[in-house]
Amino acid sequence: MTDRVIEGKNLVRRHSVLELVEHWAIALSGLLLILTGLLELPIGKRYYVTEIPWFSWSGDFYTTLTIHYIAAVVFVAASFFHVFYHGLLGEGGLLPRRGDLKESIKVIKTFFGKGDEPPFEKYLPEQRLAYMGMAFIIAMLIISGLVKTYKNLLDPQLSYAVTSAATWIHNIFFVLFIAAFIAHIAALVIKPNRPMVRGIFTGTIRLDYARGRHSLWMAALERTKTPSTDDGRGGEREEVAGTGARKDGHVLPGEKPDPGNETGSERTNDKKEEL
Amino acid sequence: MSRLTRRNFLQVSAGLAAFSGIAGTPKEAGASPGKEALATLIDCTRCDGCVDHDVPLCVAACRERALNRIPDPVDPIPPLFPRGMIEDWSKRKDVYDRLTPYTQLFIQRADVPVDGGIRTVYLPRRCMHCDNPPCATLCPFTANHKYPDGSVVIDPDLCFGGAKCRSVCPWNIPQRQSGIGIYLEIMPTLAGNGVMFKCDLCHDRLLNQQLPLCVEACPRDAMVIGLRRDIMKEAERRAAETGGYLYGLTENGGTGTIYLSPVPFEEINKVVEKGPGRPHFDKVSRRPARASLMETSVLMSPVIGMGAGLTAAMLAVRNRVKKKGEGENDD
Repeated sequence: MTDRVIEGKNLVRRHSVLELVEHWAIALSGLLLILTGLLELPIGKRYYVTEIPWFSWSGDFYTTLTIHYIAAVVFVAASFFHVFYHGLLGEGGLLPRRGDLKESIKVIKTFFGKGDEPPFEKYLPEQRLAYMGMAFIIAMLIISGLVKTYKNLLDPQLSYAVTSAATWIHNIFFVLFIAAFIAHIAALVIKPNRPMVRGIFTGTIRLDYARGRHSLWMAALERTKTPSTDDGRGGEREEVAGTGARKDGHVLPGEKPDPGNETGSERTNDKKEEL
Repeated sequence: MSRLTRRNFLQVSAGLAAFSGIAGTPKEAGASPGKEALATLIDCTRCDGCVDHDVPLCVAACRERALNRIPDPVDPIPPLFPRGMIEDWSKRKDVYDRLTPYTQLFIQRADVPVDGGIRTVYLPRRCMHCDNPPCATLCPFTANHKYPDGSVVIDPDLCFGGAKCRSVCPWNIPQRQSGIGIYLEIMPTLAGNGVMFKCDLCHDRLLNQQLPLCVEACPRDAMVIGLRRDIMKEAERRAAETGGYLYGLTENGGTGTIYLSPVPFEEINKVVEKGPGRPHFDKVSRRPARASLMETSVLMSPVIGMGAGLTAAMLAVRNRVKKKGEGENDD
């Protein structure tokens, strides 16, 4: 809902602050979970991790477990928040759609110089598939992790079948989680995707990139003529649709004068693509 | 022959009789082997360390079983990368004065100064079979599990020998034999280092309604096994009767092994030889702590996330409605 053009700066807002917080809460706690999860294996001492400055704790399984739990609280709470918040608001732009698999293959081929990219929505089809894959991995990790925690906390004699299933699901999806994390980072290294990287740090991406590559999203965004007050600078502004000019023709302080037909205006999008 | 009808199994309804040498039938436990929590009482007022024998009889019986169950390691045992100590006890199977993979039970001797003299106490040491065994709950591969009968059992076919169980055990009980086990099939140089061994309370024998070998072998009935609640009562009763001291009731949150000694365990702990394979008699608080704030928070985190998500979504909807209303007013 916060998607909007910030033309004076050649930017378009792609993620709200809340979404950035969600992403980084899950990402950073997830990285800590990977690290402490690895250290739950007896590797800290054997692989000299304990001898890295500030890492002497890494050989103490109770310490690593405590850190694992702290990170898990953030990870699980943020994941549940994500699903409930965006689910209740009906924001499903990252959910896979029919034909995404076929489209993804086409897009991946273009990375190797085969064919032309089709126009994209806010998210690429493979992003939607990757999201679902990651969500599934995280869901399995959370369910099995909660069972393991319950066992440690309340029921050390939980049946062998349940304990064993939870342990192995946790271990297998832990490996998949690391693989998915590496794939996630690898996707950002691919040249055409690089302009999206700043989005997850600042919430905004370049407008010219968005218009060129995410034309379906931008078309929907720019079709909408909606007043916005959420520009961080106060004041309600409105754009005359399609003209790129504001009704009042005024340029706000701190805003560059309009290069070309872009003005210091913003548009919001009613389409629910926040997820 | 070694069925639970022996006197060493504490009778449910006639506990006293069990200790007075009258054989009986442990109906309740015998009716559902493996399902009800058992515990062991090690009465050190009775144990004499089998000083007349080369090897204490309980130790010999236990060792015999271990010898039959532990395969010979590969030769040579693969070196470890980047570091790690190979622990090969296969050429030192006759070490009896500490825990090893082959000696999963040994007798600890304590010469305790009492009233100007020395009181010698013999203490058979092995896994305590904790109520909350960190060795089992924290095993990364579920190779170690606590069963409903109270026994904590390492599965030698699943164990990688990483010795995490030994690190987290308050008494550092499990012992490693390198050069055997599943790790040899995967990355023997990079991961794993053998198989961990410790007393499993003769879990397989219990399932067959047989006594643990040590209990069966003891000529002085110094060890009794029975339903947990009965053993606890009996331990308390004997301690009160003899003015003795108990260890294991509350250690690490409670264990399935209760020691009864004629002298305080603080005094015993001062004089017993401690170190690798030679456990202490310290007071031990439970780790991980029961219902710790951290674990409770983990279990509550889905609710926290759901609640926050629901609240934030409601606020977002309210803001939108408000903005929409303002927009309409402006028009």
